[in-house]
Amino acid sequence: MSRYPRLQSLQEISEVMKRYYVQRSIMARLRPVAYVTSGAPVEILEAMGILTLYPENYGALCGAQGAAVGLCQVSESAGYPADLCSYARSHLGAAMSPKQAPLHGLPRPDLLVCCTNICGTVLKWYEALAEVYRVPLFVLDVPFQRTTPPEPHIVAYVSEQLHELIAWLQAHTGRRLKQERLRQTLQYAREAVSLWQEILAFGQHRPSPINAPDLFVAMAPIVTLRGTRKAVECYRHLKAELEERVARGIGAVPGERYRLLWDNIAIWYRLYRFFRPFMDAGACFVADTYTNAWTVALEVDEPFTGMALAYTGVFINLDLSTRLQTIMKLARRFQVDGVVMHANRSCKPFSITQYEVREALRAELGLPVLILEADMTDSRLYNDGAIQERIAAFLESL
Amino acid sequence: MHRRRTPLGFLTAYVPEELFHAAGFEPVFIFHAPEEYGKGRAHLPGFVCWVVMSALDQALAGALDRLGALALAKTCDATQGLADLWRRNVPQIPLFHFGMPSRLEGPAVKAYLMAELRDLRDRVEAFTGCPIAEHALWDSIAYYNRLRATVRAAYARVAEYAPSAFYAALRDLLRSHRPALPGPSPLPNAPRLILVGPALGDPVLFEVVEQVGARIVGDLFDLGERYFEADAAENGDPLEAIAERLGALTPTPTKYHAAHSRAARLLEMVRERNADGVIFARQKFCEPHGFDYVRLACALDRAGVPHLMLELEQASQAGQLRTRVEAFVEMIRGV
Ligand code: SF4
Ligand code: SF4
Repeated sequence: MSRYPRLQSLQEISEVMKRYYVQRSIMARLRPVAYVTSGAPVEILEAMGILTLYPENYGALCGAQGAAVGLCQVSESAGYPADLCSYARSHLGAAMSPKQAPLHGLPRPDLLVCCTNICGTVLKWYEALAEVYRVPLFVLDVPFQRTTPPEPHIVAYVSEQLHELIAWLQAHTGRRLKQERLRQTLQYAREAVSLWQEILAFGQHRPSPINAPDLFVAMAPIVTLRGTRKAVECYRHLKAELEERVARGIGAVPGERYRLLWDNIAIWYRLYRFFRPFMDAGACFVADTYTNAWTVALEVDEPFTGMALAYTGVFINLDLSTRLQTIMKLARRFQVDGVVMHANRSCKPFSITQYEVREALRAELGLPVLILEADMTDSRLYNDGAIQERIAAFLESL
Repeated sequence: MHRRRTPLGFLTAYVPEELFHAAGFEPVFIFHAPEEYGKGRAHLPGFVCWVVMSALDQALAGALDRLGALALAKTCDATQGLADLWRRNVPQIPLFHFGMPSRLEGPAVKAYLMAELRDLRDRVEAFTGCPIAEHALWDSIAYYNRLRATVRAAYARVAEYAPSAFYAALRDLLRSHRPALPGPSPLPNAPRLILVGPALGDPVLFEVVEQVGARIVGDLFDLGERYFEADAAENGDPLEAIAERLGALTPTPTKYHAAHSRAARLLEMVRERNADGVIFARQKFCEPHGFDYVRLACALDRAGVPHLMLELEQASQAGQLRTRVEAFVEMIRGV
């Protein structure tokens, strides 16, 4: 990797994440622990001093450490079909067999909070967890956002459930939600989100100081530490480093020749290796739809309506034409020369409309689009030979 | 009902059929077809269940052009994605999306469900240009209650029928509203099975059960017995009656209701019907039933009830299914 200078702040973020897991497992003895989905309104739990852990992030970690396949096999032998989301299969495998899992699995949860704004899979996954751990489950049901902004009865439904969630958390933990703490947490979350937006915007520079795989590493705090000061600090440092790169004209991919857009979740077991042929050809992924999902701004003044709107409006919960507009806007704003889409067998909601998006990108922007079928953590589904060939042909065509 | 009704296709097990019926439509379920027109695969990745793939394939091939509209309730991610694709690619058949909640209990659910039903009613009225009269809603509710009573009566004797004829009649009913059950053909001492799965659209499954000499004594298909389990009240507010019925049904795996568990319902059925075993017939790539299988299978294991998991896909071969079902039935018979 010597040709490709690493960002120092990514090292810092990796350290923060290592400490995060260690600290949470120590603090788990003192404070209630909740597992939450990546689209859950974590600010509420954070403000109540409840420790949150993200099985999805853990799934990604298992993928990155090459542990996912073994854990998936554990769940498969318990009966889970091999075509289900591999985050769920990895994490359930770790829950059933913590000894063979990275970090010996996550600390046991006291509570489960599942928000359906990202997919229906999490509902089934959390139901399974509620049985494995015999702990209470709260399902925050977020309807599909058909129109932008969403219809008032959808906002009212989500907002009322947020109140219900607070009462439920209070009843189960004896902790109260102090409005002041909530404001502070929302403030941090807002700050982290706006820093994250700025960081993503750096991809607009030529050359771009940041490449998608860097963002996949950098995104961990916006997911897991949203609403904390730590996330804000990490992103201030990263932002400063990117500013410096821009000032000195340093690109993430030296000699940047092509600018590409990435769609879907990362391929965790090949995080940098996957991108190597692109980098060698001078192609930098200056934007992506995955890390962009955490850029929905939070309204602090009307916290409940604000949270209801933000959590209903997550990228993956939007109707296709709105998502298409977002993708088109990214493509234009970041002046990309082509698009690579990961047809991720695990994540049906993210992948099911990709052919449609490809057609629109070709027709409306005349962009070349490459769709590669793989899986975000289950490396058994990765056909290296075929993928390398198709990447080479795609790069040739640029 | 003198004027001819416009057929309205529907998908998923939570569409308020009564509402569409009252607006002058004839709701007909769109089953996946065994044959392929070769149109769907250009629009969907290969890792999507055949139920969704086939619906789009049929629509793109023009095989559904007789439909005046399509209705689809929020259930799984695959059908949600289908709704998006439908809007862009099948403009000749307008789509009504009904945001059925994923949670069926809790203080906020009822108000939301009612608001969503009212919203749907407004959208349907705007489309037909004609308000839905309250008496029309009541007529349709009564009509569906009668239809369901017929189906429940048939289910009460399901064990006496040859499985493929019974389920063919049920599919016809969901397509044409005409209950046409053939005569029963009892088979004493046949192994008694309960089937669980997403869809009824795989005749091969019922043929195989029949070929090995077993009988079906109940099911937990999304559009099977559970779909006819509860009626809508015939007094009060009609939309509320529809909402309460949707919430009262044994949930499909895409819905959450802590106190209304599918496992408990399945065990109860096994006991009531004296079932010898359970066959899961999951569509390949179906997430909700894939996860649900493990929960139900564990409950069956604890109760000592044998079960078998089959995976269905477009090209499900009777031969392969038969070998497995035969072995299962022999195990039950103790040979
Ligand atoms: S299906 Fe997709 S959104 Fe849902 S948990 Fe899996 S990867 Fe995440
Ligand atoms: S088979 Fe499963 S995935 Fe397919 S439409 Fe039915 S519930 Fe959805």
